[in-house]
Amino acid sequence: MVDFIAGFSVAGVIFIIVIYAYLKGVPVFDAFVEGAKEGVKAAIDVLPVMVGILAAVSILNASGLVDILTGLLKGPLSLIGIPAETVPMLLLRPFSGSASLGLFTEQIKTFGPDSYLGKALSTIMGSSETVLYILPVYFGAVNVKNTRHAAAASLIASYTGMLAAIYICRIL
Amino acid sequence: MLNAIWAIMIFAGVITALFTGRTKEISDAVLASCVSSIQLIITMVGAMCLWTGVMRVAQKAGLVDKLAKLLRGVFKFIFPGIPKDHPANGAIAMSISADLLGLGSAATPLGIMAMKELSNINGNSPTASNAMVMFGVLNSVCIQLIPASILVIRQQAGSVKPSSIMPAVWITSLISATTGIVAAKCMEKRGL
Repeated sequence: MVDFIAGFSVAGVIFIIVIYAYLKGVPVFDAFVEGAKEGVKAAIDVLPVMVGILAAVSILNASGLVDILTGLLKGPLSLIGIPAETVPMLLLRPFSGSASLGLFTEQIKTFGPDSYLGKALSTIMGSSETVLYILPVYFGAVNVKNTRHAAAASLIASYTGMLAAIYICRIL
Repeated sequence: MLNAIWAIMIFAGVITALFTGRTKEISDAVLASCVSSIQLIITMVGAMCLWTGVMRVAQKAGLVDKLAKLLRGVFKFIFPGIPKDHPANGAIAMSISADLLGLGSAATPLGIMAMKELSNINGNSPTASNAMVMFGVLNSVCIQLIPASILVIRQQAGSVKPSSIMPAVWITSLISATTGIVAAKCMEKRGL
């Protein structure tokens, strides 16, 4: 059932919207093309932001900093019940979507998807976003320079969620 | 703050590489990242056109307004600054619905469109409004009901019950979304 919903959702949503609009007498294709034109411009506006973010993330990933920080942080974090194995994920998740997904795919095979660690990592992945990709892209698209407290509030929310996932999976 | 984060990322990465001897690796990686940016954006232009197009169809059929009316109660509390009949209401409603349904390809395009409407209310100022910050925070926490791609990876890794993580995912999402909303509300009052 879950697989069906997940697989059908994109086509299903388009189907419902287009059929409903057509029956209401909307010139559906004309409306679609008109809207799609705006999409091109918005995507091009985002390109420079994307290049900047991915460049910084790639330097960080290739430098080996995550390994060094994991070594430094795993001791103190284990005192508050955070397993050392989850530390690289906690460090990577808000920065790099592709790196955290790669790490997740690797770790879940090592620990087993139904083990405590496997569940905790799955929950972290399923309930968090790449904060430092989303914010620059969204704000960059509208030329906002001063994002005020957006990054701080988002990172607080993201880390609260990730730590909560680690504790919740221990109980559930 | 994004300026500082960007500078720190580059600084920390390069200094670390000098110590770990990975200077060639970071140079290669940064050039390779330009290629992946272009690949990403090409994928995104298509998805962006598709969803802004479908969004316009939904708008003309009156579906977007219906959705906005449905969510009005929630919006009044989270986004108090948006005028009642502004198109931003519909754009945010569409974007958040796409997030909930897990329409990954639609989330970014619809999110950017909603951000544009919010920016219009804000007079396209270079400083984000409270509503824009709140919308950014809501998109930074993940609020999808079914984390489809994670379930698929779990299945491929041999899980006997991939969906066993769902309750934990919902509770966690609720915790981080609530934390985000509260944190954003508290910080906007302090005028940061």
